[in-house]
Amino acid sequence: MMVQEIAHQAERAATESQGHPFDAGTTIIEHVSNARDHPILHLPAIMGIDFSISKHVMMLWLVAAFVFIVATVAIRRYLKQDELVPSGFMNGLEAVVEFIRDTIVAPNVGRRWVNTWTPLVLTLFIFILCANAIGLIPIFDVLGVLDHWVLRTGEHSFVKSLIHGGTTATANFNVTAALATITFGAIIVAGSKAHGFFNHWKNLAPKGLAWPIYILLIPIEVMGMFVRPFALTMRLAANMTGGHIAILAILSFVFLFTELYGRAAVGIGVGMALSIPLAVGISMLEIIVVLVQAYVFTLLTAVFIGMAIHVHH
Amino acid sequence: MGHNGTFAMARKDLGNLARSARRLQENAERAGPAAVASYTLIGAIGLLGGIGYAIDAWRGTSPWFLVGGLLLGVVVGMWELARTVFHR
Repeated sequence: MMVQEIAHQAERAATESQGHPFDAGTTIIEHVSNARDHPILHLPAIMGIDFSISKHVMMLWLVAAFVFIVATVAIRRYLKQDELVPSGFMNGLEAVVEFIRDTIVAPNVGRRWVNTWTPLVLTLFIFILCANAIGLIPIFDVLGVLDHWVLRTGEHSFVKSLIHGGTTATANFNVTAALATITFGAIIVAGSKAHGFFNHWKNLAPKGLAWPIYILLIPIEVMGMFVRPFALTMRLAANMTGGHIAILAILSFVFLFTELYGRAAVGIGVGMALSIPLAVGISMLEIIVVLVQAYVFTLLTAVFIGMAIHVHH
Repeated sequence: MGHNGTFAMARKDLGNLARSARRLQENAERAGPAAVASYTLIGAIGLLGGIGYAIDAWRGTSPWFLVGGLLLGVVVGMWELARTVFHR
């Protein structure tokens, strides 16, 4: 018994001394954050703002380029046909366009403005959907495995800088804040187009109340104006980050248990029995989350635009 | 007969699925304004509470601006909620 205990302790000491102890928190943050310490392309700071191309910026551009090229090619090819009958991919795209126009934009914005606001809402939907979905595909994790076993590049190689950081651009609060800023601008433009610039601002507070109430009401309304895009920003980014953190936390059980018991077999056992089935389940849920979050963002944008157009107090 | 039966059952299932999907869609559409109200309520508390917390951290006045921000957040959120509810 005593000998076994000593042997076990020795094994544990050996595992611990092999490298740094496993730090789940740091590893998870490393996998979802922007990895500003490892920029893809280092650029100088201008007026204190770092313009380096980080992982999230690269993903943002890749998604934008992907959406732009796929949509442009599909639509150009469709328009070149003799008869304008959609087929294949174009059929799916048309279904999405009609879905956004008829079930999200039209009920909120109204028939008169539907064609004005569908393009914006549709662009937001497809962009967010693609950014969310591409974030789910473990492209860079596969690259990491390849690099570790096959490529074996140096510590400061381009491949290493690609591996650091999260893949989902919409999990970054700056990205969602930018998207929400577009919504914020769209609300003002929608109100101004429907009622005129000054009337839009007058519409913020209900008419015909006693003047002391306005002293209270106008600041509240102005704050409410900023709260809406803020809610959009936090909701999307938090949802996208949350799912990834859950998956990574469950997968880190493998390493935590390996370290706790000093045996790889325990870690692998926990992985097989618990981590992998749970991670697969959450990944399935993530597929739904990806769709729902894109839907909710566009729905809320349409509702906000509709509220600016159809003002009735 | 067997084939026809299976086919008819498959069509019926698809009909149910399509109907469920349509119901879900209708509910999601109707939930739009409610979702706006709930997100605005939580967003107002989060944003104004956060601003209060930041001012506290900056000026060392903890916890007064945080408390004030949270209360103001509740007021703004409730106002937005009331606007959404009484619109309908």
